[in-house]
Amino acid sequence: MFEIKVNGKWYKVSAFEDEPLLWVLRERLGFTSVKFGCGIGVCGACTVLLNHKAVRACTLSIKEANKKEILTIEGIPSHHPLKRAWIKYQVSQCGYCQPGQILEIYALLLENPSPSEKELTEKLNGHLCRCGTYVRIKKAVKEVVKELKAGGKK
Amino acid sequence: MITRREFLKISALTLAVAITPEGYKIFRAEEVPSQINPNLWIELSKDNYLTVLINKSEMGQGVYTGLSMIVADELDFPWERVRAKASPAGKLYIDPKMKEQLTGGSTSVRNMYFVLRKAGASMREMLLFAASKKLGIPKKDLLAKGGFIIEKKTGKKHPYAEFLEEAKNIPLPKEPPLKKPEEFIYIGRSLPRLDTEEKINGKALFGIDAKIKGMLYAVVERPPYFGGKPLKVDKSDALKVPGVYDVFPISTGVAICGDSFWACEKARDKIKIKWSESPLMNWNDEDFEKFFLHKLKEKGVVVKKTGDPERVFKNSEIVLENTYLLPYLYHATLEPMSTLVWVKKEECHIYVPTQWQTSVIRSAEKITGLPEEKIKVYTTYLGGGFGRKANVEFVEEALEISKKTGKPVKLIYTREDDIKSGYFRPMNAAFIKASADKKGNLTALSFKIAVQPLLGGRASVEGLEDMLYHIPNLYVERVDVDLPVTYWFWRAVGSTHNAFILETFLDKMAKLMKIDPVDLRLNLLKREPIARRVVERAAEISSWGKTPRKGAVMGFAYHYSFGTHVAEVAEVILDEKTGKIKVPKVYCVIDHGPVTVHPDLIKSQMEGAICMGLSMALKEAVRFEKGGVKNTNFHTYEILKFEEAPEVEVEILNSQRPMGGVGEPGLPPIAPAVANALFWGYGLNITRLPLTPEYVKTLLTRKG
Ligand code: FES
Ligand code: FES
Repeated sequence: MFEIKVNGKWYKVSAFEDEPLLWVLRERLGFTSVKFGCGIGVCGACTVLLNHKAVRACTLSIKEANKKEILTIEGIPSHHPLKRAWIKYQVSQCGYCQPGQILEIYALLLENPSPSEKELTEKLNGHLCRCGTYVRIKKAVKEVVKELKAGGKK
Repeated sequence: MITRREFLKISALTLAVAITPEGYKIFRAEEVPSQINPNLWIELSKDNYLTVLINKSEMGQGVYTGLSMIVADELDFPWERVRAKASPAGKLYIDPKMKEQLTGGSTSVRNMYFVLRKAGASMREMLLFAASKKLGIPKKDLLAKGGFIIEKKTGKKHPYAEFLEEAKNIPLPKEPPLKKPEEFIYIGRSLPRLDTEEKINGKALFGIDAKIKGMLYAVVERPPYFGGKPLKVDKSDALKVPGVYDVFPISTGVAICGDSFWACEKARDKIKIKWSESPLMNWNDEDFEKFFLHKLKEKGVVVKKTGDPERVFKNSEIVLENTYLLPYLYHATLEPMSTLVWVKKEECHIYVPTQWQTSVIRSAEKITGLPEEKIKVYTTYLGGGFGRKANVEFVEEALEISKKTGKPVKLIYTREDDIKSGYFRPMNAAFIKASADKKGNLTALSFKIAVQPLLGGRASVEGLEDMLYHIPNLYVERVDVDLPVTYWFWRAVGSTHNAFILETFLDKMAKLMKIDPVDLRLNLLKREPIARRVVERAAEISSWGKTPRKGAVMGFAYHYSFGTHVAEVAEVILDEKTGKIKVPKVYCVIDHGPVTVHPDLIKSQMEGAICMGLSMALKEAVRFEKGGVKNTNFHTYEILKFEEAPEVEVEILNSQRPMGGVGEPGLPPIAPAVANALFWGYGLNITRLPLTPEYVKTLLTRKG
């Protein structure tokens, strides 16, 4: 039996020790917003926050996540600047990669509200989007970073 | 998901919309004749919501948004209160033009535009009549606006829903007045997509997210090479994994079922399978290349012959020929193939991210023996489609497994399974030859392609046989290739290779002819004013012929496909030392006909198609080893990533002619535009893709 906190609520769950957190979240607990894309940590679709840091849930076992705190896209309020910018720039196409993209930037901004372009690029290079929403992601993220800088708070 | 009967029961005011061979028709829901197959239902509910039930699949292209806003515009209804939903699947919902329930060929909006307007207008008129009756005010003194009936004299507002009961008894107006373009409130405007919020709040349900209590999970181990079948399966160790339910062979491989996905995966490592041999089992990349080039020498089917190119070649001073070789391509939808299927004795339920519901039903009929009425297909959101999800082999696998186990089964392809399963954009070898006169015209062109045929071969020669360039002597031949490698449609399929070959070859001709490549195209398009304007605008907005940004070279390409003209100009930077290519900016001009419903959706389709086409140009090829796919996941089948995406400037043009499609035509021009930039800037004679650093460096040395 493992225990994890997801979006502020504790869950008990039984799973294989080596079972990736991804499958536990998706299939055992029903957080299907955490997407499966590659299973080897290269596409970014399964990104969640583990104790406030972005991780790839497909390469992290439930054992490693045990007793820890997880945030999925449902845990980010819909009026958050990132989500508002996503709507403003109409970023999503099929939408499959989008939760992972948003969570990655959310985690980066928690750590550093004014990341450099290089840092942003490094992070986003790890998130594949077959629909080609990259250009819009760039615009949306840039705007949020600017907003945060102007507001001086996160 | 609701059925047609349930829909009628709960709905307040419902209209059904159908395209029939005699033209489009609108019905009151209660009166739809049984032989008619509506494409779409619209319902206005008591709580004043408009629901549009759509028979096309939403895979990111925005079809739910585009179709709904056409209805909402004529109805004059607030956008925040509009909902779109997947229609059920079945004969009732086929596209009567295609005779199938299928989302493909860039057709959704162009097939539905006028009929949706009329439907919205009909509902608006019925509400006005009803309000006039109920309020005792002449209809001319009422106005339908923003979801309200407004009394012109007093300004008093009543929500539409107040008049639903009366409206249900109003006969359908024969010729409801349509809005004049200047009265449009939505058409031509970029409204917020209906699916965005669901998609960024984790609420959108994709095929892989479906769930039924008590379902089994399944994975399928497929042969290591194309053409293999399981001969012997040793499952003893696999069955020892806790949670594993059963392991058994199915048509395509060996199915592993368990009570969790992870149990299946663990068990998969423990099965031992002996596969039958395949003629391909020793084939590597070079063998495929040799085979296709060899096929190209065989006699094929003559698809087109006007004039006598061979004779013209003999008498021409300017003649050039090239042989091209282009690889198999993988779709790489970010959501891999996945479906949830429950085959019961009496009926069958299928939750599926499909582009082709009719094909899903046919497969289910075949495998379960149940009649169509007993097969319920629920279309989920598609995490990318690009043609791949119009193929149904993954549904057939799940049907087999559920039938055998008697349980609901969710089949999931891992990324490795997904790549290995094939259904690729076909590989091909092509020979092209052309001649020119000294006045800047092409006098003859001959083209021959060896390829696995799609749509009876028609899709394999699209963009050539029907090209708009005027060349008086034209010959097109196709050699059909037969191989066990599975192949299928891939965003703009035939045009992806044919436009590449034709458009790069045109630039090579232009150089021999000492003429600017844009001028050459304009010469060849003398009789095509719409195409010419697209080419001219692309040259203008990209400042063609002027000095590009520092270190960059520019390339041009134009292609007509799916009823739409697109020209693209790419700015390309090549690092000669490393062979690495960067494309900072792409200009794109599209003419898709008379009306633009939603400019931003078109723009996003152009951006997406350009990214996918650029990915194909720079990175993508399926590689083979021992008859199987060598690429295993996204680290060995790379696709375009964030920093490689170009800035895209799109200009949309309109012209008076039938509407063209949007989802695919943005893709074909980008690869040749990039190759052409490298041809003019660095003299690279490109005849293959992808433009990997190694290939580019080889070309650079060959030139030097
Ligand atoms: S599924 Fe985890 S990174 Fe791709
Ligand atoms: S929006 Fe479809 S993969 Fe990114």
